[in-house]
Amino acid sequence: MRNSLKVAKWEIKRNMKNKTFLIGLFLTPVLIVAFMFIGSLFGDDSEDLATEEVTVLVNDQLNIFSSLEETVSETAFNMKLEKTDISESEVEDVLKDKENTAYIFMDQRAVEQGMVPVYTSEEINPYFMDQIQVFETPLKSNQLGNLGLTDEQLAIISSNISFEEVVSSASDSSTDTDLEASSPPFEKLIPGIFAGFVMLSIVFTGMAIFQSASQEKKDKIAEIILSSLTPGELMNGKIIGYFVLGLIQTAVSIAILLPAAIWKIDFPFMEYLFVPELVLYLFIAILGYLLFAAIFVGVGATMADISTAGNFQGFVMMLPFATFIFIGPVFSDPSGLWAQVGTYIPFTSPGVLLLRLTLLENWPWLEVIIAIAILLVCIGLFMKLAGKIFKVGILLYGKNASPKEIWKWIRA
Amino acid sequence: MEVMLTVEGLEKSFKDKKVLKGISFEVRKGEIMAILGPNGAGKSTTIRNIMGIMYPDKGSVTFHQHNGKGIPRNKIGYLPEERGLYKNVNVMDILLYLADLKDYPLHKAKERALMYLKKFDLEGKEKVSVEELSKGMGQKVQFISSIIHEPELLILDEPFSGLDPVSQELFKEEIRSLADNGTAILLSSHQMNLVEEMCDRLFMIQHGQKVIYGTLNDVKTEYANFKCTIKGQNNRHELERIPQVVRVEQTGESSILYLEKDVGPGNWLKQLPNEINIHELNINRISLHEIFIDIATDKNLMKEGSDVHA
Repeated sequence: MRNSLKVAKWEIKRNMKNKTFLIGLFLTPVLIVAFMFIGSLFGDDSEDLATEEVTVLVNDQLNIFSSLEETVSETAFNMKLEKTDISESEVEDVLKDKENTAYIFMDQRAVEQGMVPVYTSEEINPYFMDQIQVFETPLKSNQLGNLGLTDEQLAIISSNISFEEVVSSASDSSTDTDLEASSPPFEKLIPGIFAGFVMLSIVFTGMAIFQSASQEKKDKIAEIILSSLTPGELMNGKIIGYFVLGLIQTAVSIAILLPAAIWKIDFPFMEYLFVPELVLYLFIAILGYLLFAAIFVGVGATMADISTAGNFQGFVMMLPFATFIFIGPVFSDPSGLWAQVGTYIPFTSPGVLLLRLTLLENWPWLEVIIAIAILLVCIGLFMKLAGKIFKVGILLYGKNASPKEIWKWIRA
Repeated sequence: MEVMLTVEGLEKSFKDKKVLKGISFEVRKGEIMAILGPNGAGKSTTIRNIMGIMYPDKGSVTFHQHNGKGIPRNKIGYLPEERGLYKNVNVMDILLYLADLKDYPLHKAKERALMYLKKFDLEGKEKVSVEELSKGMGQKVQFISSIIHEPELLILDEPFSGLDPVSQELFKEEIRSLADNGTAILLSSHQMNLVEEMCDRLFMIQHGQKVIYGTLNDVKTEYANFKCTIKGQNNRHELERIPQVVRVEQTGESSILYLEKDVGPGNWLKQLPNEINIHELNINRISLHEIFIDIATDKNLMKEGSDVHA
């Protein structure tokens, strides 16, 4: 163990002095931030507009402005109502150089033909036309009032007919949870996203173990190192070292991303971050790292050089990305078949588990425990296999090992 | 002399090929013991088995002066045949790391590193990145890394390969002085002239088997018969008729006569036939180099001697 820590320390020191690593360390989060901004520059006009305030100028000849205002205040729409006397013929000229502005003409046409002309500026909240449908109610009641109905009659006519589902009390709770499941509470979402980020960060940094293990062969130093320690100690040292490097990457990323996130996202997510769930999430994230680290270090030891990686090695490199296949199905149904399959496949298990636990209100504890048990067994198994492969592979200078050879080492 | 390392009955197979067939020898404190042999004879395999980088199928490796189980890695210095260092780190960092792996105190390691860098003409290079070093400089750094922790047993696999004569001399002196200070040294080489000059004992290996084992002097008297080189036009058959000549090699005008084991040079010269054309004649013992080439090419020069010995 002491020797492993020496190796870990060395790997950390070596990388921290390496310009490539340092550039990557800072560039990764900076790129993420940059993409956040570039995204907001080009892509999401609609998203921005959707939240921007629309000034609605009402030419009110029906005297319903106050009820319109009331209606708007009951909704969460970002609308500012103002009265105007402008005539329809002037509107287009006025609108030419305005943004997020609309003119609505409430006159006899609305009462008689049920038609309200709306003029909007070129740039406007894309949901605006849907939003103003809420004015239907006050207009309708105005229409009906004009027909000379009493208030009571009005109330009856304007009330909607609704179909109410009467459920037995036994299943009450389940409907409740289903409702809540559709919008995961923040105390799960925030730590879930955080743990997912930590996992991605350390797993991707861990992919450098690949490089590091094959570098040992490329630099032909393995024999010198192995004259001082055992292959197992060297392997564990690398796994520990890159874990710490992954954490450093995560810390640096967060240090850069967090201020940007706080600035861009107007939401006190820090309060939701440090909750008990985070411990389980991070535990799963670490398991994910250990699994992939074992695979990477073993396979890395079979390669002479990363650029000569064969199909087999390339395939293994892609394993962490397998989780992405499950993201869609799991999102649409966090308890569905796909989600369960993904939970039990060790390579996708950490990612899928994190996703499901974040989305589900009631945790499927049995599945979680089984999945973690499978993960632990697999980690143990892969560490052992990696150890065997590493022991032989690391000394096989200048040559890629074939899957057949690797199989032989495993059986040895 | 105290025995530091005993290797007994080492056997190792790769696939179906047996590369070591019962290798036994010992290395003593303060001596330089050389394993000699052509490429592929099993030198590096023997050394890797000693270092625990491979495990023998049969036989044992015993480190004396070591009570615990396994290999006393901290007391051994090792310079493998395949040389390499991490590329993108500086010289001092890697020396200190390797010393640290041997549990050698860092401040002492630093002192010794600077001392040796100076000795090997690398003063001021401690902050230089390894990839900027020339091949020879790299080898010097590797050599320093194998002795920085004052090992009791030093194992050097082909320490002289790729070195220029000046550096060879430097390495030779350093290895000699380490031995004089009590380090047990096991080195492998195929550069006979160097080995002949410095080793105390040698173990010659071919096809995974022992061919010769003993002190340099013993080996020389045992195996190195006399040979007589004659320059001048001569008939091969006439030369072969001379008594006590085992074999004749002729290239152009030069003939080499390999003599029997117990030949007294003086007496033998007296009985040379008069008709032999001699421009130049010299008589000397077969060098280690020739014995080596002989073994490597499976000629029969040695047959007699070794048969007698065996």
